[in-house]
Amino acid sequence: MLAPARMPRPPRATSNGAAAASRARRVAGAVLATVAAAVPARTARAYHTEIDASAAAQYYTLSSPYGEPELRSRRYTSTLGMSLYDLTGDSSPSHPSLSFRSRLRLDADLGQDPTERDPNSTRYVPGLQQAPLDLMYAYLEGDRYLDGALGFRLGRQYVADVLGWWSFDGALLTLAAPAYVKLEAYAGFEQRSGLPLLATPRYRADGLASGSRDDLRSNQWTGYLEESKLAPALGVALETADLGWLHARVTYRRVVNRDNVVVSPFLDPSGKLGTYSADRVSTEKVGGTLRLSPLGLGSLSGSVVYDLYAGIVSHQALALDVFPTARLALGADYERLVPTFDGDSVFNWFAHSAITTLKGRADWAVTRRFDAALAFGSRLYETLGDPATYASSPDQELVTREVDPFATLGGRYRYNAGSVSLRGQAEGGERGHRVGADLTSKQLWKSGYYDSLVILSLYDFADELRPDRYATSFSYVVGLGLRPNALGTTTRLGVEWEQSMNRLVGQRYRVLATLDLSVFR
Amino acid sequence: MNARRLPAATCVIVAALVGLVLGLLGPVEAAPLVSSTRPPGAAPGDGGPSPVIFPPQSIGIRFDHARHMALGATCTTCHDKAKTSRASADLLLPAGTRCDACHGTNHRENEVRAGADALGACAVCHVGYRAEDGQRVLRTVLPPPHLKFNHAVHAARDIECSACHGDVGSLAQATFDQLPRMRGCFTCHTRDVPRQGEASRACATCHLTRGAELVTSFPEGRLEPPAWLHDAEHGPDWLERHKRVAGDDSRFCASCHAERFCTGCHDGRVRPRQVHPNDFLSMHSVAARQGSPTCTSCHQQQSFCLGCHQRAGVTLSGPVGNVAQRGRFHPPPSIWTDAPRGAGHHAWEAQRNLNACVSCHMERDCVACHATAAMGGIGSGLPSGDPGAFRRGVDPHPPGFISRCGRALRQNPRPCLTCHDPGDRAFEACR
Repeated sequence: MLAPARMPRPPRATSNGAAAASRARRVAGAVLATVAAAVPARTARAYHTEIDASAAAQYYTLSSPYGEPELRSRRYTSTLGMSLYDLTGDSSPSHPSLSFRSRLRLDADLGQDPTERDPNSTRYVPGLQQAPLDLMYAYLEGDRYLDGALGFRLGRQYVADVLGWWSFDGALLTLAAPAYVKLEAYAGFEQRSGLPLLATPRYRADGLASGSRDDLRSNQWTGYLEESKLAPALGVALETADLGWLHARVTYRRVVNRDNVVVSPFLDPSGKLGTYSADRVSTEKVGGTLRLSPLGLGSLSGSVVYDLYAGIVSHQALALDVFPTARLALGADYERLVPTFDGDSVFNWFAHSAITTLKGRADWAVTRRFDAALAFGSRLYETLGDPATYASSPDQELVTREVDPFATLGGRYRYNAGSVSLRGQAEGGERGHRVGADLTSKQLWKSGYYDSLVILSLYDFADELRPDRYATSFSYVVGLGLRPNALGTTTRLGVEWEQSMNRLVGQRYRVLATLDLSVFR
Repeated sequence: MNARRLPAATCVIVAALVGLVLGLLGPVEAAPLVSSTRPPGAAPGDGGPSPVIFPPQSIGIRFDHARHMALGATCTTCHDKAKTSRASADLLLPAGTRCDACHGTNHRENEVRAGADALGACAVCHVGYRAEDGQRVLRTVLPPPHLKFNHAVHAARDIECSACHGDVGSLAQATFDQLPRMRGCFTCHTRDVPRQGEASRACATCHLTRGAELVTSFPEGRLEPPAWLHDAEHGPDWLERHKRVAGDDSRFCASCHAERFCTGCHDGRVRPRQVHPNDFLSMHSVAARQGSPTCTSCHQQQSFCLGCHQRAGVTLSGPVGNVAQRGRFHPPPSIWTDAPRGAGHHAWEAQRNLNACVSCHMERDCVACHATAAMGGIGSGLPSGDPGAFRRGVDPHPPGFISRCGRALRQNPRPCLTCHDPGDRAFEACR
């Protein structure tokens, strides 16, 4: 899907295109009228309003590797966003600002078999919902108060830093000191499913299959745990500010589980499930990042995360970039990751080993329109013991490293009315290989009134652990879009057809229809 | 299978430090040279300022700045509104009438007339003019830049024209190349230099905004940061690199990107093609075995992955109706369990890539063997005469676990109690 873009007003359609354009405008006009009417007319006021909506309907079928069951996805996803900017009436970057942003999402799959949601069915899948609705974010944000020293956010919001992409309901305060330092502190409740405020489980630490057990008997799906609903969270971060050549951030976050949780997935001798309900750590991590870019010659950056609950360095990374010329960047990356999970999860204590990625990179902007990038490297899987004899004589002193090489190559040519890009990748190693490329063409027509998308893909892959799972896959996508931009909106209607073919699945089809519209006044 | 001991981390760190030193000392390009004529921040071979900021111009006038300056003209002799202009869209080129006094031409009338001598000929200034063209000359088109700029504010601070435009006065012909570069703007618009004065570092000081974000999409292309700005050049490999920049300073990203941009992938519901190529569904198992750290940045294994795997019947603990269809998922015995391997080989695989296990298995699958008999596990441990060691499960704990189990037990005993009875003597060492 092409990203919606501000496009110049299209020329008037002529001849055959006139009728089609006129019909499209009428249809779009009917759809947009409601939204447009909801936005206050332009009057003598300083604040700005933005209402935007997106809808995507997907139709595809996927089969189990065993043939049955076959899942028919008839998905409809829609979001509705509303934002108010410059509520203080001043949009100057040197004055206080106040804004509000929110987005609501419906994610429905109308292709689900009803038996999949019936706890008494043999096909019941715990946690499966047909049309979950969630409030993705809704917060009031103030910035540059107290002579630029104070900022705040109130409501459901995201925090993105070295500890991950995370969301909570609560308050975040930012206090900027005069000397290039900023303090950030936040507290509230982690966004989890089961909250009254239409939440998603996406932001809880991984490692637990959990959710509402309201429809389940106590001896049903005992491995599916009760979702903790209110999980208090707090965090603090100290970071540099307003230094172009240096940025550093040290951050700490703690989330607490409070609700009853099933302790063992097995019934005790009395036929009951034991539970534990005291406050306990869900996640507690401290992390830091540093970026140095002296004189614009290059950049040295690094990050580290220590999981206080698991007692290990769960992530560390180092990257070096140099810019030998204005158009060439060379880089090297190192990253080491040990998986960690929610404090309630037993998987924390199965996590032994690190996955280390080493990579070399080159990015060359040959011209303003044509650039290319090459990366190559390897992933190292560190384990204890020789895999050939592990089960019979586990030698925990022996560190084994398996190396999976990989490479990526990307190039793109961009021009005013479109782009052509190629992305190739090759991954190999002990667990199989995946080699192939996508060739993508995007084109605007009639000054952006229409757009088109064509993607051709060819991949060869093999799963070494499952010798029958190998194939060469050819796929193509054809997409068309229309930007009627009626009634002062930025609107795009699009449809895409995708067909994939390989020896494992035969033919697979996917239809995607999208509508994106935005009103900004 | 190899058992080499590669000092990977050491090598990379040393290489990085050596690279940095070489980068600082070596013959790399220093901060862009300020030549005698080009604007500050202009780099050799940069091809001029970004056409996304300054749309392509068409200049139909030939004008020798050096010659006019030598005759005593100043910038404001011709660009008389330059020091009072408050909007970037203001056209600051002089009208033709400004030339009349010296060239003897007449641009005031509807019928423009050439001067009497050679200096007054139309072709002296109008590029490509031929006598047979009559009154038609090549138009000069200067589209307004996609930028906010207040000349008056800068002039009031005694900032010379050359501070942004270079030494135009020494040029025979000023071109597009004399327009400012963002890097030159940063000479003042940073707070880490004493000469900043009141120049704001905020992006919105100069860039156009829509709501709280910068406008990045223009007919001439997409506004993207250069490499020297936070190492955030959006090249073809940006998708793989962006997490480092965003993890360090997500507010910088938020200058241009609202939440909906990030959630499109990180909490997405429609497969982003720029991340997952066509037919990714067929290949995702191979990708997950190789790059699971990448998967987990967007996907929850115990909800997103497990939920679909249960529906598709590929999990051990999935719905009975689906499991009934299931064949053997794991590799054939010749790969997985035949001698010299055994049933315990899966433990080595779990070490190698635990995320792959967690994307299909619920904890019940593991606990069945790893829990003590007291908690419902099979209790494979042998009687040893020590009641505390009797009928234990298979120990999954990593080496060094005992040194960190105490804090974990105090912080959250729930996973401990999943396998161990509260009275288990194994807790003594941790307590």
